[in-house]
Amino acid sequence: MLTIEAYDLARRFGPAWALDGLSLEAEQGEVIALLGPNGAGKTTTVRLLDGVLTPDRGHARVLGMDPVAEGAEVRRRTGVLTEAGGLDDRLTLTENLVCHARIRGMPLGEARRRAGVLLERFGMSSLASRTARGLSTGERKRVALARALLHQPEVLFLDEPTSGLDPAATRDVLGLIGGLAEEQGATVVLCTHFLTEAARLCRRVAILEAGRLLAFGRPSGLAAGLWSGLPVDLDMGGSADPARVEQLRNVRGVTAVEPNPSGATVVVTDRDVIPGVLAVAMPVFSAVPRPPGLEEVYFALTGRASAEDAQRAAVPA
Amino acid sequence: MRHDWNAVCAVVAKDFTAIRRSKAVVLPMLFVPFLLLVVLPFGIGLAARAAHGGDLHNILNKLPGGIARPILRYPPRQQLVILVDGYLLAPLFLIVPLMVASVLAADAFAGEKERRTLEGLLHLPIGERDLFYAKVLSAWLPAVAISWVGFVVFCGVANGVAWPVVHRVFVPTALWIVMIVWLAPAVAALGMGVMVRVSARARTAQEANQLGGAVILPLIFATVAQSTGLLLVSVPVAVGVGTVVWVLALALLARGASRFTRDRLAASL
Repeated sequence: MLTIEAYDLARRFGPAWALDGLSLEAEQGEVIALLGPNGAGKTTTVRLLDGVLTPDRGHARVLGMDPVAEGAEVRRRTGVLTEAGGLDDRLTLTENLVCHARIRGMPLGEARRRAGVLLERFGMSSLASRTARGLSTGERKRVALARALLHQPEVLFLDEPTSGLDPAATRDVLGLIGGLAEEQGATVVLCTHFLTEAARLCRRVAILEAGRLLAFGRPSGLAAGLWSGLPVDLDMGGSADPARVEQLRNVRGVTAVEPNPSGATVVVTDRDVIPGVLAVAMPVFSAVPRPPGLEEVYFALTGRASAEDAQRAAVPA
Repeated sequence: MRHDWNAVCAVVAKDFTAIRRSKAVVLPMLFVPFLLLVVLPFGIGLAARAAHGGDLHNILNKLPGGIARPILRYPPRQQLVILVDGYLLAPLFLIVPLMVASVLAADAFAGEKERRTLEGLLHLPIGERDLFYAKVLSAWLPAVAISWVGFVVFCGVANGVAWPVVHRVFVPTALWIVMIVWLAPAVAALGMGVMVRVSARARTAQEANQLGGAVILPLIFATVAQSTGLLLVSVPVAVGVGTVVWVLALALLARGASRFTRDRLAASL
């Protein structure tokens, strides 16, 4: 079941388009990533999907509702972790949580109980009665995440949930996000510029740059659209000499050979070609097929977009 | 349109708690009322106890007859305290609701942007109007409460210190009652109306305070004080001035409410 659908969403601020033609979808229990540098349009996307901003073009449905017409109902069933966290330094951690729970219509007793449970779950219960002033970035993120989960949202928007966190806290938060989708069936939209966390958590990614959607889909599918063949890293104990490189190029099914300090990377059309490659390349200490990862896909797409922009700019009007 | 008063109360309660814990907000809010409503009447009372009267005739003769005439009926030793506490302090008192409302409004509107807590509120299922009402109430209610509590304290100090001279309770007068019940809440609302507009443009509470507190509100105060100082010689005139201020305040707040939309607020983040 689709919980998020966006078609050609666009929004501009003044003359500049913050988002220009975003189309994507997410199923129940799926974690999708919005990947892109600062200013790519990730936060604008979240605001549009949660009915905080109104689109200039296109439309969206979240949990079957239109965020523009039924914004309050959408927001009742979604949870958002904003990039800044948004904790009030003058309130205690419990008060920060209880206040949002009360605004969401939760009775005071229930709000306090849920706040206690979540602060405990995030390891913050010992600080529950002190104000948020002076908390570390990691602690703030954890409290803000606890607040976003108070009402057990069906859709969770997480805007840079791990920025500023140390490796241990990052691991904890990523584990928790994965658990939310798997155990609770929540749909998670993860805005990030960290490729590794997107690769670890998300089945599908939307790659954004300067407000434009460059691609949306599974990393393997996006890679297939960009490159043909399977790269295989050969460890030959040293860089392949030119004669060996030439021999490898002549093997049937090899489309490219790139020498490197430990041997060469050979691109083959199929796994079945690998034995033929090994026969020519011997001695080979290891041969590791390495399908393109999200990182290669991301940089290939953003690099291509930059090149196209430069080309357009170079063409006289 | 249905309102979610539970959500409104939750935002107001949050803001009250936050204000209470902020020295930067509480201290100026208490200092000025303390100076105006405690120190000043105390000093005037002491001066009246020490003075023998007589010198005030020249001053009273220069005031509009409507103010001077009733004061001149009292014995000379009582005239100073009745002039200052009963009449001159009344328009000055309006600084209290104006200042408290503007400081709190800057904190409630621009302060949310500055603390980066506004976006979290925008993602909650609270209506734009409800959020606006909550923000207005969390500044207007304390402004009126502080004014009223301050006035009670003022009455106690003014009557207590001047008792050896006046020998009776001389404040509140009918004029003071109109000032407190009708004009002070109106002035607080006017201050709110201005600060809502100013805060929409400011990025920090300090910026809003500088723009509103240093430029616009003094102009409003001067206008209101001038009109009340010169015209407040009768209760009907005070009621009339209060009505005008209410109309202006409600017009400004209505305009502010129409511009207080999620889209506009989020776009300004």
